[in-house]
Amino acid sequence: MLQPRLLGPLRALERAFVPSIRSAQHTYQPQSLIPRTLSASNTFPKTTPSISRTLLPFSQVRYASHASQGTANRHSRDPAGKRLGAKRSGGEYVVPGCIIFKQRGSKWFPGDNCAMGRDHTIYATQAGYVRYYADPETHPDRKYIGVVFEKEGKLPHPRNAPSRRKLNLVAIPRIEPVEAQSDLVASIDENGTQVGSVAAVSAESGPQLRPGYMYREANWVIGRAAEKAGIVAMSYDRGNRWLAWRKRQIRAERAAQMKSLKGKKKASKKANK
Amino acid sequence: MAHCERASRPLLQCLRSSYARSLTGLQVQARGFQSTAGVAEAQSEETQPFHKNPDPELVSSPRLERRLMRQGTTPIGSRRRRAALQGSPNIPFEQLPYQCFQEARNVLLADRAEKLEEIEKMRQRIARVEALSTEEAGGEQSRKSRLGAMQLHLEQLKIHADINDPLVKRKFEDGQGDMSKPIYRFLADRKWREYRRKILVQRITQMKVIPDVLPHCDPVVDTKLYFGKRQVQAGDYVLANVSTSAPKLDVQMFERGEKLVTIAVVDSDVPNVEADSFDYKTHYLAVNVPISAVNTKVDLAQLSEDSQVVLPWLPPVAQKGSPYHRLSVLIMEQKDAQPLDFAAVKAKEADRDNTLLRTIQARYHLKAIGAHLFRSQFDETTLEVMNQIGFKGVELELRRKKVEPLPYKRRNPSSFR
Repeated sequence: MLQPRLLGPLRALERAFVPSIRSAQHTYQPQSLIPRTLSASNTFPKTTPSISRTLLPFSQVRYASHASQGTANRHSRDPAGKRLGAKRSGGEYVVPGCIIFKQRGSKWFPGDNCAMGRDHTIYATQAGYVRYYADPETHPDRKYIGVVFEKEGKLPHPRNAPSRRKLNLVAIPRIEPVEAQSDLVASIDENGTQVGSVAAVSAESGPQLRPGYMYREANWVIGRAAEKAGIVAMSYDRGNRWLAWRKRQIRAERAAQMKSLKGKKKASKKANK
Repeated sequence: MAHCERASRPLLQCLRSSYARSLTGLQVQARGFQSTAGVAEAQSEETQPFHKNPDPELVSSPRLERRLMRQGTTPIGSRRRRAALQGSPNIPFEQLPYQCFQEARNVLLADRAEKLEEIEKMRQRIARVEALSTEEAGGEQSRKSRLGAMQLHLEQLKIHADINDPLVKRKFEDGQGDMSKPIYRFLADRKWREYRRKILVQRITQMKVIPDVLPHCDPVVDTKLYFGKRQVQAGDYVLANVSTSAPKLDVQMFERGEKLVTIAVVDSDVPNVEADSFDYKTHYLAVNVPISAVNTKVDLAQLSEDSQVVLPWLPPVAQKGSPYHRLSVLIMEQKDAQPLDFAAVKAKEADRDNTLLRTIQARYHLKAIGAHLFRSQFDETTLEVMNQIGFKGVELELRRKKVEPLPYKRRNPSSFR
């Protein structure tokens, strides 16, 4: 199989040499009757026939048994489709987050009420009707996908017109944020498990059901257990160098111990190997 | 010692040792006519040390600079220059002993004299054309265009006469430029257009003030906005309690003459829940405000109630949950600097809510020449301000409307089977 490919450059080489070789052949032919004594004259007649054979009618033969084996790397050359393209056509109704177009690179740009995702996917940010359009005033070459609120709305809007927007908000009575201890508590009712924060007053009342299905006190209560028990840590004294020396000594000893252990482990591993 | 002092010390020492000695004689000559003591001698008699009373022209240590700034005076020029000036004998340009420098100055002076001559000639030509009757000048139109072109050329000549003067450059950089002179106006305009105007234009276009409030605006005046003493950059968030009182404006014009302007502050993001859209609200409107290149300060709270302020200041508040409110300040030139009829305007523009600035602009033939912008959002001081001004809907908050998802539609179901 590789033979013809290798022969390509050889043929080029041959073209450069052949005229001289042929002329040499002509000159040598009368001498071929003479017994060959020289090594040079010995090699020439041997190489020339093989070169001339590949030169004249060049053809490859591919037998059926060979072809039936198939080509290598067929699947990498023919990958699965990536399902790109328009997911919503012009005029279709979309809601926020609805994917309108999937693409490689920015073939289309997000226009009004649309945005572009991480992989250049165009998606809607408002509910409305899809429009595919060009906006030469903004950019002469780009194609845009936009969403309009009215079914018969048109894009692009005139450049100096005020932008059309929707509020998409509802007014409800204001909810005061729960002042207090940011401590999580869980409650189970018919809606499922609710995780919320508890007020400071009820947080102290004792163990409650907390995330992870545990009845326990709040984290900050646990943190103050020593205070409640009246355990007082020795206050730090800068001038107490004796204590400082002892602490340092302990730390150094421990470090040395850990170091020696580390070395031993490594050595044992090597020994096993 | 500040780093720049350290850097320039060897140079300064060199200068001092080489020139101070050679210049003493020169200075004595120059001061020969005076009988009073020299400045340097007078200073040496005063025993007050420098750190007690720092000079804004010479102070170079950051600590003393800070102290000066706290007192309210800003140090002049760069710190490097101030450090260099500390050791310099401060000789005027004419007496500097650099030959090449003096030659260069002569070239500049000759150029300036030439330009002054041209200015004089141009003035005479303008006077001649003005003296001509309309028929002689070839019609009103051509005369007007000719005069306009000549005036423009004259203004350019005035700038060219002074633009190479090192003293002008220095004065401008020290902030001591006289804005009544064309050269300083030109330099200030150029500096503004280099950076601050670009930022402003970017903010008002990116935050969509331009298509939302007005269809078009090409700022030609530099506008600064202050709440109290604090300057607000274009597009900054301002706390609700800070913006309860009307801001001060610093409107710097770069043209000669005086203009009458209309100043409006418009909120273009008032939520309208019923219509599911946004409304406009005029927070301030004043007409017939005079500005000029030297008269730049406009205190919106101090304008006259019975001849200028159409709608007094209404503190901006943002309801909880509403997206940020853009408060755009627009400065609009009145046509031909003619005052508007205040009483008529006041009668017509009494409604804050339902008037678009576009309408006002078209109605009174105004042209937007300056813009500024700040934003407000719900913060910890908003509730208090809302109660103060009697805002409707204090107890309400805005929440996201739930979006109905699209019904699930099975596409091409036969292929799944």
